[in-house]
Amino acid sequence: MKIFVTGIGAVTAIGNTAAENLTNLKSGQTGIGKSLKHHLMLGEVKMSDEEIIQKLNLPEEDYSRTTLLGLIAAKEAWGKNKIAKEIRTGLIAATSVGGLDKMEDYYLKGQNSENKSLYELQIHDNGRTADSIAKYLKISGCVGTISTACSSGANAIMHGARMMQANKLDRVVVGGSDPLAQYNIKGFSSLMIYDQEICKPFDESRKGLNLGEGAAFLILENEHSLSISGNKPLCEFAGWNNSSDAFHQTASSPDGKGAAMAMIKALEKANLKTDQISYVNAHGTGTGNNDLSESMALKKVFGEKMPPFSSTKGFTGHTLAAAGAIEAVYCVQSILNQAYLPNLNFKNPVKETGLIPETSFTENENIEFVLSNSFGFGGNCTCLIFAKI
Amino acid sequence: MYLLSSASISHQPTFRNKGYSAHLEDLEDDSVLVSPDYSAFIAPMERRRMSIVLKMAIACAKECMSQIDLKQPDAIIVGTSMGCCTHTKNFMDKINESAGGLISPTSFIQSTHNTIAGQLSLLLGNQSYNMTHTQNSLSFEQALMDAFLGELDGLSTILVGAADEIEPELYNIKAKLGLDEELRAIGASFFILSSEKKNENDLKILDVESNSFFKNLTESVSNFLKQNDFSASEIDAILYSSNKKETISELQKMFGENKLTDFQKFSGNYFTNSGFALDYARDMIENGTLNNSGQTIKTILICNNQVPENLGLILLTRTV
Repeated sequence: MKIFVTGIGAVTAIGNTAAENLTNLKSGQTGIGKSLKHHLMLGEVKMSDEEIIQKLNLPEEDYSRTTLLGLIAAKEAWGKNKIAKEIRTGLIAATSVGGLDKMEDYYLKGQNSENKSLYELQIHDNGRTADSIAKYLKISGCVGTISTACSSGANAIMHGARMMQANKLDRVVVGGSDPLAQYNIKGFSSLMIYDQEICKPFDESRKGLNLGEGAAFLILENEHSLSISGNKPLCEFAGWNNSSDAFHQTASSPDGKGAAMAMIKALEKANLKTDQISYVNAHGTGTGNNDLSESMALKKVFGEKMPPFSSTKGFTGHTLAAAGAIEAVYCVQSILNQAYLPNLNFKNPVKETGLIPETSFTENENIEFVLSNSFGFGGNCTCLIFAKI
Repeated sequence: MYLLSSASISHQPTFRNKGYSAHLEDLEDDSVLVSPDYSAFIAPMERRRMSIVLKMAIACAKECMSQIDLKQPDAIIVGTSMGCCTHTKNFMDKINESAGGLISPTSFIQSTHNTIAGQLSLLLGNQSYNMTHTQNSLSFEQALMDAFLGELDGLSTILVGAADEIEPELYNIKAKLGLDEELRAIGASFFILSSEKKNENDLKILDVESNSFFKNLTESVSNFLKQNDFSASEIDAILYSSNKKETISELQKMFGENKLTDFQKFSGNYFTNSGFALDYARDMIENGTLNNSGQTIKTILICNNQVPENLGLILLTRTV
């Protein structure tokens, strides 16, 4: 059974729509800057909660930023689609923050503050974002949330496709959303992996990552759904795999064995040989550990014939559970525009591997198959492959 | 999927206690977890850092594996609503205490929802499919549905579980979701499923459904049974969770009054307690339990309506 991508939506530090994101990818304009709120280099979405509530004309209620960002992206991806009885439609979302951003407002300001009712409503329940988006789009039935840290978004896309392959759904809205929560800002700070400037993925002098926020959603449909919706496919979702590194709770193994396994098995699933991959959108966070481990895995999978690759984290920052979904949208755009996406701030290759990423938006390439990597805490490694139609 | 083994830690003596279903008593409000001796499953140094949800999950998972002498599962799938929330609170406390200074990352690292599945992968050295579902009261049903998908990818032996702990100070939410605050509990239940039958007596999970914003309970349950070629009269017992009078009366109309059991009286309230219900159902069937009509219980429907707008359905049956 073939699975098609028929809609995309994204909100990140470089744009409030998928099209705005593409414009900035083309011009090489980063969205990372010094945050006035957090005094740190971050990829902030340039819309306040109030602006999003107004833009979406939402009823008065407390929304976590996770939900608000998710709603913006899901609404864009959904477009003019309609609920139809003949199309079994589900929603699989991803988040790691969930309602934490609201909860910490209460908790970090002191338990006796007057925000208590707000706090009680917006707990660490990750499922609420999916529920809110489903309600907004009038989707009922299969509504799920995946939370596997930084690979969550990619896993949500994979899971939606697997539900379709098992003939449980004809169409599924898949993606992820994470805001910049104080909790994660302090958390990654405690791991001491921030670059105080804009991150430099795959550069020898890389110092670490910048956190970002955002959301992205995609619409996946099977042929039955297409025959009713009349949608034109943007590309095909051809292969996927999730494998475990089984090395360390937060660090990647030196040889990237989990990452390599995910890529090899995703290629098998898509029935592709390594030399058929036209472009790789790497996880490439800019940390010493990730970029070396991922480079080793890439070399293991592709050998001397490394396809063009890049990390787009220098534009958006690392958007955690949204990252896999945002980068999936970028992969679709790479196919639609037949272009490689640039890796910002690269000067010198990593000494151990010598891999050189694409540094400019190069059009008129022959892009058939695009591979996207996402890795998370717990050694969670996911690889997705998209194909030109 | 065939159910090869299962293990549950709860506020009842469920762990390593075959036939426990015959001796359950209603929980009191102040009940506590019946903890096994974790030293049989986790080394002391590791145990010290672990939150209760992680300890419960690891003990259940290892117990499941040892029951059938399984070295490695082909997938590890966990459903958890609240994840590792005590570590979340610990790290928030650290942020408050640090006043901008250095903070130890330990609690942060252990606080992601996929710490449970991730730690199982690490402890077992397991490189296979590893997934964490977190959809409030349907987290376990979502995980179980994922286990059913494993067959597609040629994954034959799947470890799937439910686990939840409470952080009372932070997670005072149930009232807001229309649930009562009574019988608050925690627990973990793990299972090993396979598309192939390994033993003559293996039970079979025929189907699982996770239905958010369902409209009509009778219609949803009837359709689910019909899809599996079952009529209401062929269901010997129904384990339900619901505080809605309408749900209970609709189920009574469909199945008759004396086939229903409110499993939350035994498990207590936590979002993934349908995991408890599945282990409880297994124990009842394996034990040759009779229902109130004097029939041997062969097929059980678990009907999870803990959150009023969510419906989880699981159908378990004996195959011989």
